[in-house]
Amino acid sequence: MRTKLVALAAAATALTMGLSGCGSDSSSNSGSSSKGGTISSQMIFGGPPEFKTRTDGIPGLEKNYGVTFGKYTVTDTGGPVTVNALKRGQVDAVDLFTTDPAIKANDFVILEDPKANFAAQNIVPIVSKDKATAGVKTVLNGIQAKLTDDGLGTLIGQVQNDKKDPADVAKGWLTENGLDTTGTGAKGVTLTVGSANFPENVILAEIYAGALTAQGATVKTKLNIGSREKYYPALKAGSLDLFPEYTGTILQYIDKTATATSSDDVYAALGKALPANLVALDQAEAQDSDAVVVTKETADKYKLKTIADLAKKN
Amino acid sequence: MIPLDAASSSPWHFWGYFLDHRSQDLGYLWDHTWLSVVPVVVGLLLALPLGWLSRRYNWVYPPMMSITGLLYTIPSIALFVLIPPLLGLDPLSPLQVPIALSVYSVALLVRVVADGLGAVSPETLQAATAIGFKPLGRFFRVELPIAVPVITAGLRVAIVANVSIVTVAGTIGFDNLGRLFDEGFKLSTDTPYYPPIILGIILCVLLALVLDGLVLLVNRLLTPWRRAVPT
Repeated sequence: MRTKLVALAAAATALTMGLSGCGSDSSSNSGSSSKGGTISSQMIFGGPPEFKTRTDGIPGLEKNYGVTFGKYTVTDTGGPVTVNALKRGQVDAVDLFTTDPAIKANDFVILEDPKANFAAQNIVPIVSKDKATAGVKTVLNGIQAKLTDDGLGTLIGQVQNDKKDPADVAKGWLTENGLDTTGTGAKGVTLTVGSANFPENVILAEIYAGALTAQGATVKTKLNIGSREKYYPALKAGSLDLFPEYTGTILQYIDKTATATSSDDVYAALGKALPANLVALDQAEAQDSDAVVVTKETADKYKLKTIADLAKKN
Repeated sequence: MIPLDAASSSPWHFWGYFLDHRSQDLGYLWDHTWLSVVPVVVGLLLALPLGWLSRRYNWVYPPMMSITGLLYTIPSIALFVLIPPLLGLDPLSPLQVPIALSVYSVALLVRVVADGLGAVSPETLQAATAIGFKPLGRFFRVELPIAVPVITAGLRVAIVANVSIVTVAGTIGFDNLGRLFDEGFKLSTDTPYYPPIILGIILCVLLALVLDGLVLLVNRLLTPWRRAVPT
């Protein structure tokens, strides 16, 4: 109830800010400091539809940093629409994922999040309990131990920029890390590995599938499944057995009231929140979390380092 | 294999893209084919009795046309997502796509079946009855064959429409040529990545042309008398 009210209030403020923002934006860009506007109140924010109401979305930014944006424009979930909108200046700040190779490629700046508005998003395999044999756990946890932010960024770059096949990229990574050794560790297990509809998740699913196959498991893949609303029920019902997930989002999805933000807290809370037939294996060091991203020009112009800087007077 | 620059995003690179992902693309093409054809067959089988009913009892015709017409206005993506919970299917069941498309095919075909049957002249019907056809035999051996050309016209529309609607299911994770569009879109960060998109369009158009040709061929085989009497 309360979150609803907060969201409603945030939407209402966003709306009024939007109206006033429109007026001042076109008339003068720099001279509005006399009106006492903050930097963010003159900015257009771009992100997925649900970011506007999510606890760690616009309401969270306002609560933690007192940041309210002039206008919210719906783009996609960290995809090409968002990147291009920021690049072409149609929006001033966006919600992107930290592993996105487009950030580096375009010199975008990730604003620091000192108050941990965005919860930890460590990569974690969610498995059906009856498929999580000791052998399967060893294979997957072995992968988890080697997944790093940089490594992940490179893999995504290979798919997104070099247009390589996720399956080939996954195979290359397994070989590079000595994880493609054949064996019988997972023999006799039949699994269906699923993935969401974005390159990084597909690569992770291919990595899991490749390593398990090498260890003798019979693996089927069901990749590029739309949204969590669609694949999570399938995972719960057992038509999918293994899914690469992110601790923060999956926790938030199962338990809307979750408040944990640090990696360990989120992981512990996730262990408790998962239904009895699913288990979370080891979380990786690698994270793919939401971030508020601006262009380098914007960051330089307003001297932005953290999200809090957006609330400063212009 | 011809060495090709895999990263080339020129629209003309679609052939290289196809060679690089041949088995996957052919798989999509096959999935797309059966997803386009089976629903039309199912739709026709359902539309025949419904169309007959709308002709046999005149008061059925207006509501039947309104209801089936309305079915066609349901957005396809909504229908794909709604069907599993409504029918208690697994959320990932591939059946939701052909079921949804069958609904659209029925919507398109009931009207043409009814109108096709309606186009049979009363004189023909009386003559058929007079030479001893029972109602059921008369339907299958006189009315339906005469209605074939009109029904074929509807089938052509239905099958080509299906080829295009199936692609929508590709964006929510079902294997078919629509996946190529999704792929091209996802890889379009920074610069547009055309090859899979162009390939998808080409394969869809080719598939639609081939299926349309097949429907025409079947029509020709089923109506030999039309060729015997030049008009």
